[in-house]
Amino acid sequence: MKIKRILIANRGEIAIRIMKTAHLMAIETVVIKTAVEPNAMYLSSADAIYDNTEDVSEIPVFLDIEKLIGIAIKTEANAIHPGYGFLAENAYFAQKCIDNKIIFIGPSPDAIYKMGNKTIARKIALAGGIPMAMGSEGNIANEEEAIVIAEKIGYPVIIKAASGGGGRGMRIVRKTEEMGKMFIIASKEAEKAFNDPSVFVEKYIENPKHIEFQILGDTKGNVIHLGERECSIQRKHQKLLEEAPSCALSESLRKEMGTMAVQIAKAVDYHSAGTVEFLLDSDKNFYFMEMNTRIQVEHPVTEMITGVDLIEQQIRIANGEELKYKQSDIKLNGWAIECRINAEDVQAGFAPDPGKIESICMPTAPYIRVDTGVQTGSSIVASYDSMIAKLIVKGKDRKDAIKNCKMALDKVWIKGTKTTLPFFRLLMRHQKFQDGSFTTAFIEKDLDKYYFNSDYEEMLAAWLATKLFVEENLNDDSINVDFKHGKEMSPWLLNKRINQF
Amino acid sequence: MTKDKLQIKKLYALSSENKKFSFSLPLKHKIRIGKRDYEVKLKADEKLGTYILWKNRKYPVEIIRSRQNKYEILFNDISYTFSVETPFSLQRKKVLDSGRGKIEQEFIKAPMPGKIIDVLVREGATVLRGEPLIILEAMKMQNEILSPVNGIVVKVAARANTNVMKDDLLIEIKVA
Repeated sequence: MKIKRILIANRGEIAIRIMKTAHLMAIETVVIKTAVEPNAMYLSSADAIYDNTEDVSEIPVFLDIEKLIGIAIKTEANAIHPGYGFLAENAYFAQKCIDNKIIFIGPSPDAIYKMGNKTIARKIALAGGIPMAMGSEGNIANEEEAIVIAEKIGYPVIIKAASGGGGRGMRIVRKTEEMGKMFIIASKEAEKAFNDPSVFVEKYIENPKHIEFQILGDTKGNVIHLGERECSIQRKHQKLLEEAPSCALSESLRKEMGTMAVQIAKAVDYHSAGTVEFLLDSDKNFYFMEMNTRIQVEHPVTEMITGVDLIEQQIRIANGEELKYKQSDIKLNGWAIECRINAEDVQAGFAPDPGKIESICMPTAPYIRVDTGVQTGSSIVASYDSMIAKLIVKGKDRKDAIKNCKMALDKVWIKGTKTTLPFFRLLMRHQKFQDGSFTTAFIEKDLDKYYFNSDYEEMLAAWLATKLFVEENLNDDSINVDFKHGKEMSPWLLNKRINQF
Repeated sequence: MTKDKLQIKKLYALSSENKKFSFSLPLKHKIRIGKRDYEVKLKADEKLGTYILWKNRKYPVEIIRSRQNKYEILFNDISYTFSVETPFSLQRKKVLDSGRGKIEQEFIKAPMPGKIIDVLVREGATVLRGEPLIILEAMKMQNEILSPVNGIVVKVAARANTNVMKDDLLIEIKVA
């Protein structure tokens, strides 16, 4: 059975990204229209739309396994691409697809299950001789057990959810007295977020770099890696900027870590695209953290420097094709940086700022790629994540990529919500980012403010405030105030002002 | 219009950090940097909306809020709050500010709609500036709400596992 029509069990930019490749491969696509986003941009690139706007169920359709299978059958899709998030790493969903003779574009349910359960993944990695942070052998039952382990391996330690991921359900403990409180919080959080309260303890690596390897494996047992991505610029374990390759890796370290990543994938007979995440400490020791069994948000940076279309590979692998690339075919060419432009308020500690996008205008250039699911008039809704667009910029080396990125950032135009743009403008100018010495603690420890503005920007804003004041308060003919330029005020601006008064 | 306004020669925009920007009246569409004047243009078009053109670069601008003489301006994705003062009102403000004591009560409100995951303090607790008070989940992110001041918690309005709207009162702290 070959893939003829894919149901995309996702929304936003990743739905559009998947459809782009599917169309190049002459495969049809089906997307789902929801009541939350009935006019979303991703609906316009599909061959068919399943209208689910009448659905009043409390759980979003993208998380509803039975319904998704039903939609695939009704729309005659013979494959499902889960994208990222939602059910992308749900072994039961993958199994349900297989049971219903629908091709799941992703790894086997077995691989998803094993890597999704952090304690099982740890055991597999340990058995394979993969370097790991010291920690509990399996889940821990209570605070006392956690303290015993912590005292053996030394503080600080981190409590992690066994079924966790995406940075949730983790708590750092620096001393014995904190363990009781943190153990309960971590366990409660794990229960709420993942329906599984089990947690384990491992040594907390201070100020590491986050390095991950992109993996591709086929169903014939071939596994290769496509080099690394550095994702150390994070806030609360949420990535904000990713780049490929990483300036922290020498060619020999890349080879060593890449080999380990391939080995982990092979240990679970991995097929499809996947990511093996490591922490790298300041002495260049690396530790296996987890494997993500899906396409990642940051996959474009790898595509930019390898020239490999990862979605195409996922589809081909799901079709049972053998990988056409060998490890020696993968060459890293140039440098790519991805900025996640989110609807967040950098002046309020990155608080989400959902709203309607009044206008959006993204730069175009041969070295720029933009992946987005919004256009002018779209809304960033509170039910989903806050992403507006991914700005991916390439350069011939890191310095060149930073230069290009800085220019590109000044050409991005988004109105209607506050965005993470001022943060990236700061980052591109920051010494520690430029010299590559940043770690995952960068945002929390090295920054006293999260945004950049030039000296003149505040003054120009002050001028505008003064201008508004003049027009509102001094508009009397008898007063000698210059009004000629008042005509330049847009009706939109004026209307908005009138509405607010 | 009062006679006072006829005599206004200058206006001041005071930032929330008390930075003072002065502008002569009539307000020119020029800003002087060093010895050169640079033209400021306020423009709008359909594609970009409103923007300011300055030194050949376009900066997006929006008015987020305005009330009386207070303006919140979003300029190039950053918001600034100014109060615009005349020489007289500035003088009056100075007098008023010097007589006013510091804030005694701090009201912690929800910065965004979301769900309260955990309340970390109880009434009567002593808190330090920067100490986490509440964990609020919004848009898939868990956000710690930190105490902006040193003080004593006098009221806990937030309850775990409940949803809150933006600006709902969460906690009241008596400033120490």
